[in-house]
Amino acid sequence: MPAVPIPDRLSQTAVYRILVLSLVGVAVGTGASLAAIGFVEALTALNDLLLISPYARIQYETQPGLVTAATVLVPGLGGLLVGLLVRYGVAERRGLAPPDTIYAVQTRTRPPSLKSGLASTAAALVSLGAGASVGQYGPLVHMGAMLGNLAARLKLGVRNLQPVALACGVAAAISTAFNAPIAGLVFAHEVILRHYSLRAFAPVTVASATGYVFANVIFDRPALFLVSFEGVPHAYEFALFAAVGIASALLACAFMALVLWAGRQAARTPLPQPLRPMAAGLALGLFALQVPEVLGVGQETLRFATIDGAFQPGELALLVAAKLAATVLCVAFGFVGGVFSPALLIGILFGALCGTLVPLVPLPIESSGVVVYAIRGMMAVTSPVIGAPLTTILIVFELTRNYDLTIAAMVAVVFSNLVAYRIFGRSLFDAQLKARGFDLSLGRDKAILESRRVIDYLSRAATVLPPSASVRELLAELARTDRAEAAVVDADGRYRGTVQLQDATSVAGDRPVGDLAERTPVIFDPDTSVWAAIQALPGYLGEAVPLVDTDGRFLGVVPEEAVIRAYLDATNELRTEENEAA
Amino acid sequence: MKRLKAVFRICKVASIPSPLRGEGRARVPKARGRVRVGLPAVRRGVPPSPWPSPLKGEGTRWRGRLLLAAALLLLTAPARAEQDRTLTVVTWGGTYEQSQRAAYFEPFEALTGVEVETVRYDGSLQALRDHLADGETRWDVIDLIRADAVRACDAGLLEKIDPAILEPAPDGTPARADFIEVAIRPCSITQLVFSTVIAYDNRAFPGEKPRRVEDFFNTERFPGKRALRKAPVALFEWALMAYGVPRQQLYELLSTQRGFDLALAKLEEIRDELVWWQGGQEPVDLLKQGKVAMASGYNGRFFHARAVEGAPISVIWDGQLLDYNAWAIPKGADDGDLARRFIGFATRTARLADQANRISYGPARKSAQRRVGLHVTAGVPMRPYLPTAERHMETAIPRDHTWYAQTVDLRQRRFRQWLSDDAGDTEGEAGREPAGKPAGD
Repeated sequence: MPAVPIPDRLSQTAVYRILVLSLVGVAVGTGASLAAIGFVEALTALNDLLLISPYARIQYETQPGLVTAATVLVPGLGGLLVGLLVRYGVAERRGLAPPDTIYAVQTRTRPPSLKSGLASTAAALVSLGAGASVGQYGPLVHMGAMLGNLAARLKLGVRNLQPVALACGVAAAISTAFNAPIAGLVFAHEVILRHYSLRAFAPVTVASATGYVFANVIFDRPALFLVSFEGVPHAYEFALFAAVGIASALLACAFMALVLWAGRQAARTPLPQPLRPMAAGLALGLFALQVPEVLGVGQETLRFATIDGAFQPGELALLVAAKLAATVLCVAFGFVGGVFSPALLIGILFGALCGTLVPLVPLPIESSGVVVYAIRGMMAVTSPVIGAPLTTILIVFELTRNYDLTIAAMVAVVFSNLVAYRIFGRSLFDAQLKARGFDLSLGRDKAILESRRVIDYLSRAATVLPPSASVRELLAELARTDRAEAAVVDADGRYRGTVQLQDATSVAGDRPVGDLAERTPVIFDPDTSVWAAIQALPGYLGEAVPLVDTDGRFLGVVPEEAVIRAYLDATNELRTEENEAA
Repeated sequence: MKRLKAVFRICKVASIPSPLRGEGRARVPKARGRVRVGLPAVRRGVPPSPWPSPLKGEGTRWRGRLLLAAALLLLTAPARAEQDRTLTVVTWGGTYEQSQRAAYFEPFEALTGVEVETVRYDGSLQALRDHLADGETRWDVIDLIRADAVRACDAGLLEKIDPAILEPAPDGTPARADFIEVAIRPCSITQLVFSTVIAYDNRAFPGEKPRRVEDFFNTERFPGKRALRKAPVALFEWALMAYGVPRQQLYELLSTQRGFDLALAKLEEIRDELVWWQGGQEPVDLLKQGKVAMASGYNGRFFHARAVEGAPISVIWDGQLLDYNAWAIPKGADDGDLARRFIGFATRTARLADQANRISYGPARKSAQRRVGLHVTAGVPMRPYLPTAERHMETAIPRDHTWYAQTVDLRQRRFRQWLSDDAGDTEGEAGREPAGKPAGD
């Protein structure tokens, strides 16, 4: 017997919720982690099989014809397969990516279907396997979210499970892919959930730790990146770090702007959508004959960039440009994959370039070597692209386990983020969402209010009269329904205007109301968001705002009170979600 | 006839009167302990008491019964008509073969009565191809580098081996779990781990000792000549490690031209200090004579010089390049069953540990690694000298044989090209001697 009696119902529900959330964390974490390991293994195997990885290519070093053919044809045919998979498998007709997860979590809408998700994942695997210059983490994040959504669809009786379950999958995927559980945890909050409630925190942590256990303890996956670094001996270098951070921000902005611009250009090409990736693949292959580093994820180049003397400054500049162009081409022309890994590569090459240029500066300063500049450049370019400074800093820390390097990277990351935010916005993901009409730049409350429709608060309890009805009839009807205004709607159901009680009292009783009706200064349509409604209401004098569809047909009214209620509902939900404990 | 001889031999070991004695005695060969290099076979007789038995003393009678049972088993086994009941093992010679004789061949002879004769070969796959070329196989068992065994298997030069011939560990652990990873292949059974390491002359560095691979390339901090094998093996890996490349990523980077460029640039830094060796004993001698301060070489050789001969040589285990030897059966071996029986016997835990007490190569079974004790003559504890010691494994490079096989020409070409950029330095070619221990490719 416990000394203090615990209220039965309370303890049961809280305990139940904690239990369910933890189990969801473990289950989703396990699934996402295994899926991530399988995905990475499969893509490595494909790269070896299809002669994309240098390790496989070198065995045919004496048969340059074969390597040349593979270099051009593999990305080309892979592109064709990707185009067909996306066209016939994905309902959205494009590769699914983190923005889809962010959107689903923020708006509590259903994410893309499982079938679309699987087809998109397969297309991503083909893209990466065939050497397209796209990233693996976007597809991994989406796969994690997809598995999280499976758990969310179980009827577990826990409110608001979906965002938490999706975040669990994302955290486990990142945790497994980078061997970085803390970064996984923070990424899920910083990029996907965008709040830090204790309730989400616990299961997401569990999922992230599960991912780490699978990656490290059970499968003993090799670390993504091992760097030894002795520390920064010169204080003035921190000023240089900030400068490189700002330069990286400019590069990141250019990268993101180019991705968006090229996406629009691609949409205008006469080439049918399923054939676009093939065209990009063939172009990439031809390009790779000159610069083989543009193919694939570029694990080897990533490592070489940290070695002093591996590249000449000219080579580095060329590779930054080449990788950037290749990625923009592949992403815009429909290969399925993320921008994270390419950003890492572009960044590390850019950082190495800065590192090799520093000793050339005619000042009596010593540099602490190319490694620190390379890592810093990598993080400073990547962080604005994914809009996650904290995650980036933690990834550096968890990958290198090096405190000095993390501090150095932190300075660059923060400056880079600040500058890129001013120029471009928070991240490529947010920019892509904005292009789809979901703007997170002024906070998630505004974005969520924008995603809700006032039509959900439509009331049919309005006084409606035909234009031919007389003012006398109007007055009688208003008195009967106890309202001060009536909508005038013609025989076709079209909205003609609204008549206010005060305008009707001073006119002759037999005039038709059609003469008096005036369109109100604010009229909603089915797409009007709660945010737009709230913005329109100040100064509006009527009782309710008519809602009219695109053909001009009257659907009903939205009372002022309902608009305020919609606003309060949304903000209350947000506050509850962000402050829930368990 | 051979089978009868075997029965006789067992009876002799077991001190039981044999009905076959008269007949058998005439057939005991006299050429004991003589090894003729290059000839197909050298017969070895049975030493008077080859049985390194834990059963000696009160157990003699029991041992006799056991052996009698074995003899009866042999008699009832299906007869093999005209073939000689000898086992021809193809191996590497030198102290390595001596350790094999003591740990494997003699006990096997004692157990089965079969004679084990050895053929020394140069370790190349070509030797096996040449032997098989005339269509007749006189070899029964061959000791191959694992990578060669895999290639030979793919090329159809080897018989399949059923892993069921492997005995479980003494504590009952099944063989598959007891052997180190990927030891059990379709045509070969990995039996030992050896490594190519960097060693240094203690006298050259009285103060700070070199500890890491990068110290080999740091002639400012650790001055002195360096000896390397004149072959494109191990030096690329070490050169990249000196840049700080983690050992897991070496072969990926060495699959690009840039990787080779970097590695050769690192070698270029110490070109003036380099001395080349070719035979496995040379680096030991160079160190002993104080001609070089550091040298690459085989861990077993360095161990022997240090522990048995007392030479002031220490090994840098960082970046040791691991390699494996495996037993295999050439295609069409004339006594395949006996060969399988031998492999099963020679990979027993006790046998493997016994060999590791004679020469510092790591056994391929975990149970055997735990049993390794003192060196049989020098009396030094063997475990710290084994490549498989836990401390040494932490920084070891598992040699990537796929990469080695894929880059045979490329490595040769790049290496020769680099050498010819400066033709002056060929010092190590003098004093060449045949390699006594696996030298790779």
